[in-house]
Amino acid sequence: MSASVSPLRRVDVHSDVWQADALAGAAARVLATGDATLDAQLPGGGWPLGALIEVLQPVGVHSEWRLLLPALARSGTGAVVLVGAPQQPFGPALGAQGLACRRLLWVDEQAPAQRLWATEQALRCADVDAVLAWLVQVRPEQLRRLQIAAAEFDKLLFVLRPEAAQAESSPAALRLWAAPAPPGHNDGALEVRALKRRGPPLVQPLHLAARPACLARLLAATEMENALDRTAAHA
Amino acid sequence: MHWIALQPTPEAAAAEATLSDATTAWAWWALQFTPLVARVEDALLLEVSASARLFGGAPALRDQFLKPDWAPALVQSAQGATSLIAFGRLQCATQGRASVDSVPADALPLSTLVAARAHLPTLARLGLSTWGQLRALPRGGLVRRFGSGLLDALDCAYGQRAEVYPWLTLPDVFDAPLELLSSVESAPALLFGARRLLAQLLVWLRARQRGVLALELLWELDARRSNALHVDAHHQGGSQGRLELRTAQPTQDMGHLARLLAEQLARVTLPAPVLYLRLRSLQTQVLAGESVSLLPEDMRHGDSLHQLLERLSARLGPARVRRLHLHADHRPEHMQHWGAAIDVATKSGAAHAYSTRAAGQMDEGNASRGALCPTWLLATPLRLDVHRGCPHYQGPLTLLAGPQRLEAGWLEGAAALRDYYVAHSATAGLVWVYCDRLGPPGTQAPATTRKTGCWYLHGLFA
Repeated sequence: MSASVSPLRRVDVHSDVWQADALAGAAARVLATGDATLDAQLPGGGWPLGALIEVLQPVGVHSEWRLLLPALARSGTGAVVLVGAPQQPFGPALGAQGLACRRLLWVDEQAPAQRLWATEQALRCADVDAVLAWLVQVRPEQLRRLQIAAAEFDKLLFVLRPEAAQAESSPAALRLWAAPAPPGHNDGALEVRALKRRGPPLVQPLHLAARPACLARLLAATEMENALDRTAAHA
Repeated sequence: MHWIALQPTPEAAAAEATLSDATTAWAWWALQFTPLVARVEDALLLEVSASARLFGGAPALRDQFLKPDWAPALVQSAQGATSLIAFGRLQCATQGRASVDSVPADALPLSTLVAARAHLPTLARLGLSTWGQLRALPRGGLVRRFGSGLLDALDCAYGQRAEVYPWLTLPDVFDAPLELLSSVESAPALLFGARRLLAQLLVWLRARQRGVLALELLWELDARRSNALHVDAHHQGGSQGRLELRTAQPTQDMGHLARLLAEQLARVTLPAPVLYLRLRSLQTQVLAGESVSLLPEDMRHGDSLHQLLERLSARLGPARVRRLHLHADHRPEHMQHWGAAIDVATKSGAAHAYSTRAAGQMDEGNASRGALCPTWLLATPLRLDVHRGCPHYQGPLTLLAGPQRLEAGWLEGAAALRDYYVAHSATAGLVWVYCDRLGPPGTQAPATTRKTGCWYLHGLFA
């Protein structure tokens, strides 16, 4: 017998068990993130449905739309509930990127307890496809409650929290950190680190193209025009 | 003729405590089996011979009738060829005798005949105890001794005379009072009484096959134990309180209504204890049956959207739960309006309910307009510091693209003359700033260059 035969093949074990050096398989349904680089690094190849996904960001920086919009645009026709969004979501821009305005529902509430309650109620609604909740002060057991509600009703649930929450434990199935990349990288890239995932730790942060196609074209064209102007001035 | 007599047991009325008036609820339930339903004392009498065939025979009808889908069958029932026989057998049953349906009419005790109750001592002294003994007496003497009422009742009981009652009908409007067992001091505690009224409402709605759109809960304050606040309220015209509840779609879901009621009652303070509750339906609508799929994967799991919106609005306030309305305008702050998801002003039914499937919005037409706009908009533009002609937001901004010139609103007196730029900030990424060409507030001269104008942050690209 050759020594290369593994004593335990992956197909032998339960789908919830995975080997630490490989990504877990898709236990439940997933929704593609719209970015092949990110899909490749997520278990199952996309955002898991019916699980809590936590996205951490530096204070005052909100890059969530770039990360989540492609998936939300394809998530169905039901409502997308925004609980406690930090600013006014701008409907025309979201509509241009594929998220129909009539799906949006904004619960503009400041009190943390009411935000949690509204999030849980939204998860329990059959006509809701996705819930985005901006939670600042939240305890792990409260997150677990949301996780259970999301699993029971099979909903896409994103919890957006400040960077400082990184030190706290979390029942989230997937935990990401996202922020605009520091200068020197690809222009306007979004840096994403996986803090927790069902798989090996992600050593290198991912850099995702972070600008909508239309805006990227405008910026490129402006830059080219400026370069031409400079050349003309030199001449 | 086939009569059924029925009476909720006294222990059912106490233990069950889910209905505010069990006898009335049973009467409404009985009306779907026969139109001939009458109430005598605490019992119900119904004549079912005409509809027995429709339900597959009298025994099948009785089985269906005694097993309603809203309450455990804590009733006693008896049947007979005439209403008085059925009623007499029911009286025997309430006194604890078993197998009453086989008691012959002649053997029924005289105390079970309502018309004979006034003469019971006399009849007893005459040695009469059953219907058969009374009937054997000569009719002429009976009329002279006791009046014609007793003989008429006896004729009715033996089917020799038609039985006519004031027949019950199903009311057009649900309006039920409830006297509370003890006076209630806090508004949320009223919910326990209200739940019983809601259970009663459900029976009525099912009987009429309707769903409720609007209802009101009224309560009457105990005038004897009033405080100063209550006296004031009394002078302003009422010792009554009132709460109106509306839903966007007609519903028979009492759980949803109870939750809405709980949210509303949580905000009510009672000036005095409450003794009486009353629930009244204001608006109902015919409820079409729902077709349910046989396949388990087609079953929808969870509440409907209008229930969610009503619940969120009831607790957080309607202004906090918002949906998006788009307008054709060039100014970003006027391109959209986040309005209440539930129309509070009219609130008159399903037409105003939020629907994600509603077509006819300007979504598609606007698709191209917003392509270069940021996804977050600041509710009020943030004034930026300017150092040496360069706007600063968490550090200096680099203008990447622009200007996109905007001149609008002059017709409404709120002129906007702005040059929009896409700028880059080292910490916040791409931002949307504009230079106000109207100049700083107070100065009349318009700023002509971007060096002198005021800079504002209006959006964040995220």
